[in-house]
Amino acid sequence: MDTRLDASRLESLLESARLLGSSLELDQQINHLLRTVMGRLLATRSLVALNQPDGSKVAAVRGLKALHPGDPATPAEASALGLGLCFDIAGPDGPVGFLAVNDPLHRSLDSGEIEFMRALTGLAAASISNARAHQQAVRSNQELHAMLELSSSLAAAIEPDEVARLLMLTLAGRWGLLKHGLVTWKPGVPPVRRIRGLDPPSIETLQNLLARPAPARLGALVVLPVRFGDAVDGAVLLGSPASGLELNDADLHFAAGLIALASVALDSAWRIQDTLYRQRVERELTLAASIQQDLFPKRLPALPFTDLAARNRPAREVGGDYYDVLGIGAGDGPHLLAVVDISGKGIGAALLMANIQATLRALLSVESSLEAVTRRTSDLLYASTPSSKYATAILVKYDPATGACTYINAGHNEGLIRRASGLVERLGTTSLPLALFPDRSYEQARFQLLPGDVLLLYSDGVTDACGPGGEEFGVDRLIARLCQHPGEDLDGLVGGIFDAIDAFAASAPQHDDITVLALRRTSLPGVR
Amino acid sequence: MPQSFQVDISETEGVRILAVQGYLDAHTAPSFESSIEAEIRSGKVRLVVDCAGLTYISSAGLGVFMSFLEDAREQGGDIKLAAITPKVFQIFDVLGFPKLFDIASTVEEAAARFAQARES
Repeated sequence: MDTRLDASRLESLLESARLLGSSLELDQQINHLLRTVMGRLLATRSLVALNQPDGSKVAAVRGLKALHPGDPATPAEASALGLGLCFDIAGPDGPVGFLAVNDPLHRSLDSGEIEFMRALTGLAAASISNARAHQQAVRSNQELHAMLELSSSLAAAIEPDEVARLLMLTLAGRWGLLKHGLVTWKPGVPPVRRIRGLDPPSIETLQNLLARPAPARLGALVVLPVRFGDAVDGAVLLGSPASGLELNDADLHFAAGLIALASVALDSAWRIQDTLYRQRVERELTLAASIQQDLFPKRLPALPFTDLAARNRPAREVGGDYYDVLGIGAGDGPHLLAVVDISGKGIGAALLMANIQATLRALLSVESSLEAVTRRTSDLLYASTPSSKYATAILVKYDPATGACTYINAGHNEGLIRRASGLVERLGTTSLPLALFPDRSYEQARFQLLPGDVLLLYSDGVTDACGPGGEEFGVDRLIARLCQHPGEDLDGLVGGIFDAIDAFAASAPQHDDITVLALRRTSLPGVR
Repeated sequence: MPQSFQVDISETEGVRILAVQGYLDAHTAPSFESSIEAEIRSGKVRLVVDCAGLTYISSAGLGVFMSFLEDAREQGGDIKLAAITPKVFQIFDVLGFPKLFDIASTVEEAAARFAQARES
């Protein structure tokens, strides 16, 4: 009997050595251990508990409903549940855990049995340590792999929502999370939200939670901070893993690593989006500017007894000044000279400018009365623009045959006439700006241009131009320049006015569009 | 070369018969364990293991029987062993299995004992 028993024990040890030595799967090893011990000792209940950083935890259990894998367990607790036989699982590196079984036949173990158990648990200790180290290595490898994969995906992501998607898919995939979420509240950038399977708490709640010492929990959810630089401006919420086991410290550490990768990627994505946006705006402005430039007359009409010159320089890509010389009816008959200044700047003003131009041209084809054109233009604009939008304008109806002019100054700068004698006359305001009120009638006045007279119309960008000291160019300096070179041609005059403004402004930036339109009455037909 | 092992399952009069063939050792024990576990989990707790085809069993194999005995008996059933060959019976005997298990010479006898237990 003894011989057979010894042979049986030896066989069992050999079998165990072979299996434990060839397997790196912890579950396989532990279950083999339990089967073998239960088979040899005729135990109907057993458990193996392994030492963890936070205490001894059940790794496997058989025949016992009161304990489950992951529960804490000590030999005393096992004994209280009827598992009265307890064996240390210890190897050369120290204890690894313990094994406890019941003893339904109430036998005491003889020395042979005890020797066997010592040998078996020694074998198990060594291979369990190996298996755990292997498990850790596999896990680290997987985590490293996940990090590298996430990192390379994030490098290609230029949208913040894409970054959020990659991060949350990786986290959810790693632990089989049905509930998870990412929320950011970084100031100065659009917030990011990606929520699945849960009602997100308010940002205030999250901020309070994260202000307390880690780890933050909200019911069953773990809440992790998202840091941008030094500030916590976001949160990641993680629900319970599909495995049923809670996320442990190693898991949270890993998650924090992935979150850190993602926050860098988010910052990059926001910066890229901002740059793209500004590039888009710039492109649109450039396009709008070229469209607007096309609205200005490409060539001023060649009218009998008349020289014409004009220039416009917007302060930004897209300006709010407009000038034109439009025929009233066909041929060399009366023409309308217009300088218009739209309230506001930028694209909004430019759109209104295009509107005014179209309106004037349309009206001039059916209406020849300056007052009627002005009034109808004003009414149309009043109806079709926000109440805050209006335009000042000086409109001169000029007859090239006679030099007779009628004008309306709707809230605009004074027009100037430099007579051949050198005297300067001013064309003051006659009425309120356009589109300010409906149904206004517009006062007009008349004057006569004689050979050698120069008519100068301009926008307030000329007179309001500021010098470095803050003083304005003003109408006096304009008049001075107007009179400076009586013999010069109109192009020289217009250019000279711009030069004078630039010299005056020196390094000060220009805030307003500058428009100058000049007309000279000659005694000979104009040559262009 | 790994030894082979196989389980064929049939039923007679409300009793499940698990006919095992081949080698039941540390390598094949997990698969046998799955078979028994499937029976127990689905409420089939009257089991007879027909050991006529069993050529060898190790402690690990024996441990499979031990692991579910308690479960089966708590639910009013049992795991009975039948038709063990003499060679294999020696292994059972050395470890004291007869003290714990109901062992019969034939499958019919083992199945009948379930009926008797119901009547008594």
